[in-house]
Amino acid sequence: MNISEIRRDFPIFNKQINGNPIIYMDSACVSLKPTQVINAINRYYNEFPACGGRSEHRLGKKVTEEVHNARKIIQKFLSAKRINEIIFTKNSTEGINMVINSLNLQEGDVVLTSDKEHNSVLLPCQALRKQGVEYRTFKFGDIEDFKNKLTEEVRFVSTAHISNLDGTINPIEEIIKLSHKNKSLVLIDAAQSAGHKKLNVRKLNVDFLVFSGHKVFGPSGTGILYGKLDLLKNLKPLMIGGSTVKNSTYENYEIEDIPERFEAGLQNYAGIIGLGEAIKYLQKIGLKNIEMHEYQLNRLLSQELSDFGVEILGGLDPEKRSSIISFNIKGMHPHEISGILNESNIMIRSGRHCVHSWFNANNLEGSARISLSVYNTEEECKRLIEEIKKIKNLI
Amino acid sequence: MICILALVVFGILGIFSATHRKIALEAFDCVFRRLTIRKCTSGLDRRLKSQITGKLMKKYPRVAKFTFKYFELISWVFTIILILSIAYTVIGGYNYYIYGNCNGPNEDSFCIFDPLGGNSKFSDIDSEEFCSLDPIEKKDLTIKGINLSSFPKFERWAENDVVFIGCYACQYTRESYPSIKKLSERDDVNFIFAHFPAKDNTQVISNILNCINEVNETKFIEFNDMIFRLDLSLLKNEEELLRIVESIGLNKEEISQCSYTQRIQNITQSQISELQSTGIYGTPTVFVNEKAVVGPKPYRVYKRLLK
Repeated sequence: MNISEIRRDFPIFNKQINGNPIIYMDSACVSLKPTQVINAINRYYNEFPACGGRSEHRLGKKVTEEVHNARKIIQKFLSAKRINEIIFTKNSTEGINMVINSLNLQEGDVVLTSDKEHNSVLLPCQALRKQGVEYRTFKFGDIEDFKNKLTEEVRFVSTAHISNLDGTINPIEEIIKLSHKNKSLVLIDAAQSAGHKKLNVRKLNVDFLVFSGHKVFGPSGTGILYGKLDLLKNLKPLMIGGSTVKNSTYENYEIEDIPERFEAGLQNYAGIIGLGEAIKYLQKIGLKNIEMHEYQLNRLLSQELSDFGVEILGGLDPEKRSSIISFNIKGMHPHEISGILNESNIMIRSGRHCVHSWFNANNLEGSARISLSVYNTEEECKRLIEEIKKIKNLI
Repeated sequence: MICILALVVFGILGIFSATHRKIALEAFDCVFRRLTIRKCTSGLDRRLKSQITGKLMKKYPRVAKFTFKYFELISWVFTIILILSIAYTVIGGYNYYIYGNCNGPNEDSFCIFDPLGGNSKFSDIDSEEFCSLDPIEKKDLTIKGINLSSFPKFERWAENDVVFIGCYACQYTRESYPSIKKLSERDDVNFIFAHFPAKDNTQVISNILNCINEVNETKFIEFNDMIFRLDLSLLKNEEELLRIVESIGLNKEEISQCSYTQRIQNITQSQISELQSTGIYGTPTVFVNEKAVVGPKPYRVYKRLLK
């Protein structure tokens, strides 16, 4: 894997701010976009900007074909059994809401999530309380705690594969196995693992899985909901309307097949085609290569940062964290850290990363979060370390 | 504290730019919260702190460290400076309106509202460069006890007294003349004009003026109007002066002869002595109801001193 070649695919790296190059380390929020993806989006608008799945003319057919190809690419990417198990959404949040609100959970049922869930999981689960559904949490990554909380009333388990807060990894294989043994359905939020780790939904035997396109080099406003076909059949679509029905009368309608019934209205065709291209791009580099590269950078950063007393959330061992390093410097607000780094064109995230609940419970104001991707280099990490050293010296 | 500074700075910039308006609103929210004893939640203070520190860190790490460590203190210092600056600006603005100078009555220091000092300049009587008189000792200006009976006047039995001490050859007297003329035309003003020949040996004009005043007490205004309009280079030209005398309907030979009489020259000399007793150090000096104003001021400054 040649990082210099990969970086050449990302036009943003040609840009300089105040005469200095950009160091982008906020990929857990949004990843940068390679030329291949940008070209794919442009291709739709330049060559066939038409309706998919409805119009019988050449352009319409071309769109249908391209969307089908993108779905096929994503089916392979996730190792899904059938192509119609792949549903296009606008992001992970939409996928999670679609599932949670369509499960027909009853009073007395229990939903189990971890204590480090993104608001996208936390809020829809909390909202179920109005229906009399109990909402329960287990300690993220703690399988013993998970076992203790997994009582027979638990009908649904929703948890992140990798925490967007600190990059720690949940033992999802075990969680899925135990849940199924308990006859509970499982949704995995793979927003931070897709594009960084190999995902095989069949091997995992997961019921539902979601991820966002904008974190895997794809365009904003794209996401994927994977669901086992027999489970999707039982889900009630959240939105219905254009392209979700085969036929309608003044009294009734005949619902479309899966996945179309879940994709109401005209779709983000350019985005879907771009997402397909992004996944192709990921596969071309190879997820194993990406994972290894990110691990090496994480190891370098974790070691150096911990050496001069930076507090890393989620532990020092980079093997237990994915490509995320969340940290704090005593006596300094995380926004100050990211703000100062921003002046050196180093872009990281700071705050509570949409996991306010965990920070509130732990009396922390937030953290500064470095999130790596395949386009980051060792030199960039060394530069970041130098800058953080300088920042630490301010105190 | 930085939010107060930000509110003022970005508030002004916000008039011209929408981006800065947004920051100004954040700053306002922050200030409002602090005033209502709540925590500032906008994070603007932290953003500014990190931006400033980040920029300093590149070139001056020690300054950056100091700034970061004492940011709140520095913010306080700048806020106090800002408040003092605003206070001084307001006082300066008030002084400018009232006295024609930011620094108070008869001050000639720099004033931002009058950067060229047009309202504060005066022709220095002490200056050796053009002074034809003995130096005058600076003391408090006063008109009390000064005999003004021989000077040209408009006596209206009004409640306000205006005494205009000026010099025909002095630039700033000439600049102030339109305002003084406007003031002299008011019904509620008794007006006295006193020529102080501070420059270019213009005592001869004083003599002519005194003669005009003896012949016709109302003609000095017309004479002044023309003299103050006359080119400076012609002020020493007696023929030109007498032409003006003629143009205002007086006999130029009569005035000419009068001006050379010892009696008139004595009157002029005694007038100069009286004026020196006021303590004047520059022209124009205007006494409005005994309050002295030095330098060419806008009309409003004189008007404000009227009863």
